[in-house]
Amino acid sequence: MPRALVRHLLLAAALAGAFFCGRFAVANAAAAEDVLAGQLTPSAAPGLLGPITSAGRKGWDCKPEHAAASASVHAAELPAAPDTR
Amino acid sequence: MRISVLATLIALLTTTAALSQMYPGATPVPRTTSAPALADLAKQREVEERFRIGLAALSAANYKGAAAEFARVVAINPAEPKGSTARYDLAIAYANLQREDDAAAQLRAAIELDPGFLAAMANLVAVDLARGDFTEARSVADRFLALAPDSARALYARGIVALGTGDAATAREDFGKLLHSNPAYAVAHYDLAIAEERLGHIDAAERELRTALSLAPTYARAEFALGAVLLRQGRRSEARDAFVRTMQDASGDPALLNIAAAMRDSIAI
Repeated sequence: MPRALVRHLLLAAALAGAFFCGRFAVANAAAAEDVLAGQLTPSAAPGLLGPITSAGRKGWDCKPEHAAASASVHAAELPAAPDTR
Repeated sequence: MRISVLATLIALLTTTAALSQMYPGATPVPRTTSAPALADLAKQREVEERFRIGLAALSAANYKGAAAEFARVVAINPAEPKGSTARYDLAIAYANLQREDDAAAQLRAAIELDPGFLAAMANLVAVDLARGDFTEARSVADRFLALAPDSARALYARGIVALGTGDAATAREDFGKLLHSNPAYAVAHYDLAIAEERLGHIDAAERELRTALSLAPTYARAEFALGAVLLRQGRRSEARDAFVRTMQDASGDPALLNIAAAMRDSIAI
């Protein structure tokens, strides 16, 4: 086989390889983004507020009702981030 | 003159001491021979006792025992506020027994008896999220927020429900409002970033995630989301670094650790 033909064949194979690698890379990147989109999930749902005595929710010492109404995240007993400064 | 002043002082002190020793009068023992009145008093006493035993059972994590006590109180059907409160407490016991549908039914009944019962609404949203009923969760969260517009729990709950149902615009509004009064709450910055990302506001998402990480430096889920946002912007090297940092912080979350490792490995620099 003439050396020029071999060179052309090798070049064509290399080009085809590069083309398909590029296609796979693009496909992989798209798949990675799809995987990531599914992983960006919201934080946990808030936990249950505690029990209330027979006196009911009205009154100064009903902690769960105060937690429900409070504007402060600490009083509201919401999930905490790890290692919050 | 001095003697009279001294006498006045002694008299005042004596009166104060006497006042401080006063005790409230004893509650008179009900005296009746009427059978219905006696039955009513017995029921009232039973309700009080079952509440006391039920609450003790809840604090001891004896949910089955607590459920039995509060179910009996509900069956007695006491007047308000005991009726709605018993249903609220029964729902807590049911939720801990993984009887979420029963818990939701009791909380609905509690809210029907007491339409302003915020704690019951808060717990109903939490229970609905656990049972995957986003429609009711959203409806209750809307009502909760309408009654308590500044409530951190109402804003957080509706924001989470909105993210779960693809309503990123409402989530953005709720977490933004929550952060207005609680700017150091890293979790809300993270959720706001998720809303911004879903709305295509990638720069805003990155900013919120960086704020979350400045407040909570080992917040692995925020670090992972930052990697995703950077990758979406084509900043592959920075994204890879974020996934590496996620792996360092996600030791307690094997699923996140694995996905972060896979993402790190998939990025060829």
